[in-house]
Amino acid sequence: MVSGLLDGKRLVVTGVLDERSLAFGVAALAQEQGAEIVLTGAGRGLSITRRVARRLPEPPDVYELDVTVPEHFPALADALGRRWGAVDGALHAIGFAPRACMGGGFLEASWEDVGLALNVSTYSLKALVAGLLPLFRSAGGGSVVGLDFDATRAWPAYDWMGVAKAGLESCARYLARDVGQHRLRVNLVASGPITTTAARSIPGVEAFRDTWRARAPLGWDTEDSSCVAKACVALLSNWFPMTTGEVIHVDGGFQAIGI
Amino acid sequence: MSMDSEKAFGLFRGCAVDVLQVEADQIRLETRFIEDLDADSLDLLELALAVEEVFGVRVVEEELRGIETIGQAYDLVYSKL
Repeated sequence: MVSGLLDGKRLVVTGVLDERSLAFGVAALAQEQGAEIVLTGAGRGLSITRRVARRLPEPPDVYELDVTVPEHFPALADALGRRWGAVDGALHAIGFAPRACMGGGFLEASWEDVGLALNVSTYSLKALVAGLLPLFRSAGGGSVVGLDFDATRAWPAYDWMGVAKAGLESCARYLARDVGQHRLRVNLVASGPITTTAARSIPGVEAFRDTWRARAPLGWDTEDSSCVAKACVALLSNWFPMTTGEVIHVDGGFQAIGI
Repeated sequence: MSMDSEKAFGLFRGCAVDVLQVEADQIRLETRFIEDLDADSLDLLELALAVEEVFGVRVVEEELRGIETIGQAYDLVYSKL
């Protein structure tokens, strides 16, 4: 029997909204590679996540985790503690910004809206890592992977979500610094644009597509997220044991090219 | 697969009642998702998932655009049977 890259790993996968979600691809590949997973869902999306979970190769349990509700983190940790006693990895695929924060109007967005975007999209990485830290420690370490979009430059339409992602990149570095002593790694995967349901909700996002395809040395298919799933699974595995605080670009090489 | 339209609508109505948490008599062809049922895009997404499970058809997100009434959604599904 060929062993899987994630044999025996116990993983928490957030952010599965539908079958197009990047997290769905990661969850499916993780199972294929031998991991036992649970999903989390939030609010109105929770029942959707439960339906979509049934479409995975091994339908996993779904726990409620609304990152704006602090009590949900200890509740999740308690439930996973009873279930597994330890956790080996987590995928952070959580992001949200109110409509006013994207698609133009950068100067007009209110702090109320921006604050919510930063809470859900940036601070939640810290909250997830801190909330699950005792379980990672019980496992003797682990790997947290977050989904990112290159935040080193300004993009059309992305606006305050770009700021949130810049914060996420910085947050990952600080987390890496503070949890490395527990053999816990924290890395991000900065994907090129993929046509997910979440991405479709960003007004003007189609402007990215043709430019990306033309400039990326490897080309880019906005409909194919399998490259993202592979990178995440690799980072969740034991094959990046000395990599942390890093942003891995899975973008066809776009980020390396000037014009 | 072909299915009697009345039977199909009964199944469709069952999905809508389950997902949208409304009464069966609210699910008529002319019922509007937003104005009459206070449904949002996530409701439509979940309804599509439920319909896929019940009818064994595939509804992609692009097809949901422009859908405003129960009748339009049902026609989309029935056209795939």
